[in-house]
Amino acid sequence: MSDENGDAIVAEGLTKRYGAITAVDHVNFRVPSGSVFGLLGPNGAGKTTIIKVLTGLSDMTEGTARVAGYDVRKEPMHVKERIGWVAAEVILDDDLSGWENLWLQAKLQRLSGWTVRAEQLLEYFELSDRRKDKVGKYSTGMRKKMEIALALLHQPAIIFMDEPTIGLDPNVRRMLWKLITGVNREFGVTVLLTSHYIEEADSLCDRVAIIDHGKFVATGTPSELKSRVRADFIELETKGDVSEERLRAVPGVSEVRSQGKAWILKVSSAEDVLPGLFAALKGDVIRRINVEKPSLESVFIDITGKRMDQAGGGDVQDFRKFYMQVRRARQ
Amino acid sequence: MSGETKVAALPSVHAVRHGPAWVPQGSQFSGLYLREIIKTFRNPFVIVITIAQPFMWLAFFGSSFGNVGNSAFFDQTVLHAPVGTTFIQFLLPGVLSTSMLSIGMFGSMSTIQDKRFGFMKRVLITPTSKATVYLTKTLGSATRGLVQIPVMLVAAWAFGVPFLGGVLDWLGFILGLTLLGVGFSAFFLAMTASSTDWQTPGVISNFITMPLMFASGALFPASNYPRWMQLIANYNPVGYASLLGRQVVVYGSFDWTYLGYLAVFAAAMLILGTAVASRYLKVE
Ligand SMILES: Nc1ncnc2c1ncn2[C@@H]1O[C@H](COP(=O)(O)OP(=O)(O)OP(=O)(O)O)[C@@H](O)[C@H]1O
Ligand SMILES: [Mg+2]
Repeated sequence: MSDENGDAIVAEGLTKRYGAITAVDHVNFRVPSGSVFGLLGPNGAGKTTIIKVLTGLSDMTEGTARVAGYDVRKEPMHVKERIGWVAAEVILDDDLSGWENLWLQAKLQRLSGWTVRAEQLLEYFELSDRRKDKVGKYSTGMRKKMEIALALLHQPAIIFMDEPTIGLDPNVRRMLWKLITGVNREFGVTVLLTSHYIEEADSLCDRVAIIDHGKFVATGTPSELKSRVRADFIELETKGDVSEERLRAVPGVSEVRSQGKAWILKVSSAEDVLPGLFAALKGDVIRRINVEKPSLESVFIDITGKRMDQAGGGDVQDFRKFYMQVRRARQ
Repeated sequence: MSGETKVAALPSVHAVRHGPAWVPQGSQFSGLYLREIIKTFRNPFVIVITIAQPFMWLAFFGSSFGNVGNSAFFDQTVLHAPVGTTFIQFLLPGVLSTSMLSIGMFGSMSTIQDKRFGFMKRVLITPTSKATVYLTKTLGSATRGLVQIPVMLVAAWAFGVPFLGGVLDWLGFILGLTLLGVGFSAFFLAMTASSTDWQTPGVISNFITMPLMFASGALFPASNYPRWMQLIANYNPVGYASLLGRQVVVYGSFDWTYLGYLAVFAAAMLILGTAVASRYLKVE
């Protein structure tokens, strides 16, 4: 289920424009068969759009893409037989029972002899006893599991997961992480997932692309990316105004950027710089201070100058997503 | 969500394979069509509404001339029908035909719901063509429309409509109604293929129902109309179905020409609609 070079996904010059908005801007990447690839980026970066274009749900404006060995534009049906999809907002038919949702998926994928597999999946996701209930009555976590069961039913070569753990409690999230790794390792299923959880991308993905405003700003394995940033970041917010010069003058500070009311300082080593910083701030009340050791977050800060959760923002597209984000925030 | 979610090992799950495609899109078609049917019967509200409307036409409008009694004058000059025909008897085929006009509206609304809730994405990310989605929605709507026929026939019998015509004539009339329902559902769903606005189907329904109902001979004979309305009636499929039915209900005879017209109408709408939907059906 891959092309000659063993790549499950090959995208070249992939571009998607919505009117004046360029959601995805000439993106190139390859996902080796059997690997987990992560798209990490803030709200509105273009992660979902990349999934829509690669799965044939929406037409690309420019570029080419091969998925599971087939051209997405020319042979979309071959692609669609070989991919599974887990939507960020969880899409099921709420009027149908869990079992009927599986049945419909089997019909749409033209499966024969699917019931044994469906039962095993229900068993695994602990949904067996609820199979006859309408999925509209399931809890958020159960709905997510149901959706993943649907995505796995037809044994896809590639699974697209759009923010797979958004809105889930930590237990279910850990279970999903284990599942994603398991599906990938044991069945050789290629996984393309999007996330804005740093730890998620870090621990699950073989390779990560950091995306901002529709462009890939960095690509590599998580450790490669982290080793690129040989610096710590200190995020600082004070009560009064602090002049930029005063911060620059602190020994060890190599860069100073402002983000709203806060400052982001790039420093050689936070441990060495902090005493000097406190001395320089003498008299000013510190509202908030945060040290970012090398992480995918600091890679993002290094390249874009802002924190991922502060980039984009305000891009809540619909109520369900908003609700999910509220739930996530409450955890 | 359970507090303690055990992390079981991934089961060595049973392998599946894609079955043979005897008919292209056959599996997807039957799945989506059955989904329409299952959902319809789970939400009987739609059926109740579909039946209530023609029933009320028959009960209220059909009784408007209740005091005229058996008037030869009324039958001959107003209805242009044989003496002894009651108005309800005259009206029944027209009401059944008219009720097929708006059944596409519910199909359009459920399609828009699928787009808004994202379900259309779930379907179109599988090897299912837009034409299949369109055709199953169309046939689903038409099926919902047909459910009202038996109920209406029982109602008509209760109102004392004599059942002239043989069983085959009646089956022919029901086939005509089916074709009419398919044609108008196909029309509706094609018109709203690219719409995501809940209000569109209602607007279209309001717009087409009035002229097609009155300029059809469904409620009164078209021979009483002014020329311009007769012109519309001559090309109005609701009129064909009403006349086809009136032949059966009032005269006990059958006219193949009308059935032919209806078949052409349904086929034309399906072909045009499939072409439109394959191109313009919106995903969300
Ligand atoms: N159907 C559409 N019409 C117009 N603009 C769109 C459409 N879908 C997405 N966009 C725009 O494209 C950009 C990228 O959106 P996309 O949904 O891909 O972001 P994302 O990275 O998935 O964000 P999030 O983390 O919020 O899910 C945004 O500016 C968005 O407003
Ligand atoms: Mg998204």
